[in-house]
Amino acid sequence: MGGSKTIRAVRLVSGLILITFVTCHLANLAIGMRSLAQMEAWRATLTVPWTTGAGQWLLAVAGTIHLSLGLYAVASRRSLTLSATDAAQLTLGLLTPPLLIAHVIALATANRVSPGFADNYGQILAVYWSFAPAYAFLQLFVVVVVWLHGAIGLYSWLVLQPIWRRIGGFVLPVLFALPILALLGFASAGQEVLDRLANDPAWRQMILDNVGKIAKVTRELAGLQNGLLQAYGLLVLLAFAIFGARVLRARLRPVEIAYDGGERAQGRYGLSVLEISLLNDVPHAHVCSGRGRCGTCRVRVDAGAQALSPVGDLERGTLERVGAAAGERLACQAHVLGAGVRVTRLLPAFADATAAQAPHDWAAGAAPHVSAKESA
Amino acid sequence: MAAWSAELLAIAKARLVALGADLAQAPQEAQHALQSVHDALMTGPGVRAGTYIAILLLVGVAVEWLYWMYAYSPLRAALSMPAGSPREALRIGLRRLAFGAAGILLFTAATIGASAAFTWPPHVHGVVIAATLLLLVLRLSWIGVATVLTPDRPRLRLVPVAQAQVRWLAAGLMAALALLAFGRFLPPVLGEGVEQAQHVAGALRLAAYTLAALILFVGAFAFFGRARARAEGARPPLFPRSFPLALLVVAVYAVWLMHDRAAAVAAIAAIVIALQIGLRPTVYFYWGEEGGALPAIVLSLARFVVALAGVGAVALALDTPLSSLADSASPWIRIGLRLLGVAVLALLAHGVWIAIRSVVDHRLARIGPVDPHEPPNASSRLLTLLPLLRVTTAVLLLVLLVLCSLWALGIEITPLLAGAGVLGIALGFGAQALVRDIIAGIFYLADDAFRVGEYIEGAGNTKGNVERITLRSVALRHHNGPLHFVPYGALGSVRNTSRDWVIDKFNLPLPIDVESEKIRKMIKQIGEDMKQDAAIGPLMLEPLKGKLYRIDPGVKIFRCKFRSPPGKQFDVRANALKRIEAALRKMGVQFADGRQTVVVQNPG
Repeated sequence: MGGSKTIRAVRLVSGLILITFVTCHLANLAIGMRSLAQMEAWRATLTVPWTTGAGQWLLAVAGTIHLSLGLYAVASRRSLTLSATDAAQLTLGLLTPPLLIAHVIALATANRVSPGFADNYGQILAVYWSFAPAYAFLQLFVVVVVWLHGAIGLYSWLVLQPIWRRIGGFVLPVLFALPILALLGFASAGQEVLDRLANDPAWRQMILDNVGKIAKVTRELAGLQNGLLQAYGLLVLLAFAIFGARVLRARLRPVEIAYDGGERAQGRYGLSVLEISLLNDVPHAHVCSGRGRCGTCRVRVDAGAQALSPVGDLERGTLERVGAAAGERLACQAHVLGAGVRVTRLLPAFADATAAQAPHDWAAGAAPHVSAKESA
Repeated sequence: MAAWSAELLAIAKARLVALGADLAQAPQEAQHALQSVHDALMTGPGVRAGTYIAILLLVGVAVEWLYWMYAYSPLRAALSMPAGSPREALRIGLRRLAFGAAGILLFTAATIGASAAFTWPPHVHGVVIAATLLLLVLRLSWIGVATVLTPDRPRLRLVPVAQAQVRWLAAGLMAALALLAFGRFLPPVLGEGVEQAQHVAGALRLAAYTLAALILFVGAFAFFGRARARAEGARPPLFPRSFPLALLVVAVYAVWLMHDRAAAVAAIAAIVIALQIGLRPTVYFYWGEEGGALPAIVLSLARFVVALAGVGAVALALDTPLSSLADSASPWIRIGLRLLGVAVLALLAHGVWIAIRSVVDHRLARIGPVDPHEPPNASSRLLTLLPLLRVTTAVLLLVLLVLCSLWALGIEITPLLAGAGVLGIALGFGAQALVRDIIAGIFYLADDAFRVGEYIEGAGNTKGNVERITLRSVALRHHNGPLHFVPYGALGSVRNTSRDWVIDKFNLPLPIDVESEKIRKMIKQIGEDMKQDAAIGPLMLEPLKGKLYRIDPGVKIFRCKFRSPPGKQFDVRANALKRIEAALRKMGVQFADGRQTVVVQNPG
């Protein structure tokens, strides 16, 4: 995953905006554990700001940017060396838009057909719990998918920051308590709504009328929804096609690099040093999975520095932060464009997030690894 | 026999008919079942169940995430260790397995534990637990396959499989395991969660097991046949292992078609047989380079553990109440259990025997045949003790094994021991001397009084080179040839002249008028020369020295002495005398001739 510092920052900010919105939304749902009325009361604070014109624009722009940058990241990959968490995040991220399209369209239609109907949690929950349970299942799925995607992203960004040592202890519980509480709130408020539906025929009739109206329009909008889904599918396919074409083209140009301890590894033209390590099962630290954030994959280039891609601004920043010496590169950012590259790994392969939080504590860690390799 | 066969065939036929009915009625029933599931889900309770399931998923993921936060670094450290030998790879693989299994178990425990907190709609809780268990089995299978075959890390592979094949092998194995797990867990869920779906369950099970059997059957031919042919190369062709393996798969599948319960037993038996086939190469793959006793011991232990685990698994599969098995009235079961006990004892004895025998043989082979011309050293003592130890152990083990086996079989051995005791007393009086010899021999050997090849003198004028040491006596070869067989009891105090060094002294009578100091220096010079000599030098532990010892009328007697290794003093002395004689001749000194010179003094 190449990319400059700006792109990285934009993606991070857009992701943070989106997860803030999701947090507010879920927090509002969680209040449903107390009562439906409380949930409704907190709506004004937690959810309404996002439904104003500015809020909607912010969300739309952030969502679009985040999605396109995600697809761009897929398209600019050079290999499928993904860690398990990265693979999970990618899959969950790709799943999110099609799942959300139905939700967004349904809400937009509801607002158009009968204004104000969707601005009431009680009424929406009644629809979910009694009249269109399929949507409820979709929503449950979306909550799990979106939240896991966001949690992975947030965690892998935060865990590399020095501040994680102080806040890590309570960020992680909150990260998981929130969706669980939200789902509990959803269940508890849903029970309340079901009781009211059973005891309040007038309310029931009102909702039934609205649902009928909305369903009619929604059926007409199925074409639009399908079109959107197809367009999205095409975009994803395009991203993967670009990735595949790059892999196929590079396949014709094999390169080889040498490591400390006499190991050698083969790869394709344009792969980063780290990707070649991972493809060949060469032990190599990579806490951030090749995003150029953590600095644990850094290597000393012993030969063939001219055969590596030049240092970008992202890499330079990380190298400065971790106090790297001259002649050192980030293996995840240095792409191999020629022969004769020889590198020495500087951190033991088991370096963890603490190596990114406090890079100078780990400076001495290089020695035992290297000697262990040589003696082996 | 005929009736029994007919009964068996009737059972099989009924079962086949039932399977056919399952297949025929499944589509219709599936439609019905799907409709009812859909109807059940699309209600308030359905949504509630869905919400709870989502919560359980999040709880499980959270707990496992927390675990991996701490476990990931150690796991990576283990995975990045250099694996020099297969056994190191095995150790790393076991660690990887433990880490992964712990995470999965945490996930399962958290999910199932949390599920107790909710009030579920009817039937759903059972389905949720079954689904969690299915997930557990699938993930554990994957970890197992990934640990053993390591498609991504050839360094850590635990079985010798080529990289080109390993992905296919892993995929096939995983598919078969997944199908088996589905076949095992899915039908009960369908039967329990949705009424009237027995036929769907049966059909699904049939499909899953059939596919799994097909994959295993094809896999047996695809991997074991070819890999062996390639590995054997120029060696004479052996029976391909693919055949028995494929046959096992077919047999188990056929048994399953006939009878459900019997299939579990057959499957376990097949797995045990397959493991026994593969055990020898696997054990030698890990422990082969070691040599010695280890592979044999590990192999016999592993064989036994596999067999015992198979017996346990069969007992579990048949729902045998294990605790009441020992009190069972059936004589066959009692005899079976006792035979099992005897087998355990035999295995233990076998293991101990292999260990001792191979250690002893290994040591003996390393010492090599003894050279009678070399001075005896520490290894000659081993050479005397080790064969003795081997025989003693064998006898002891055999006796113990027989006694313990009799005891395990329920035969009273107390009278036997008592009878042996009476006989022992009678024999003991007769064999008093024998016992004395044996015990004295043990102490001679423990004291290291003599070893094979040494020259000893015992009581009663017995002397000679030790040729053979037995349990009761020692054989001494006298320097004139006769062979003494001396029982240890009669050996008495032993004078061992072959230990460490000897001092040799001899006299030089010289005429009275020689200059003593000159002679002393001459002898000392000869001593130095001999020390420098390539042939004699190593035999001189202390150089030759001589000094005036006594003055007799007309004779000065010089005494020379030196120290040499035992048995070499004669050569050294001859050499020294030769040199002294030459030196004296050069100095013009003759040996004292014993003639007395009478000087007559003329008074006049």
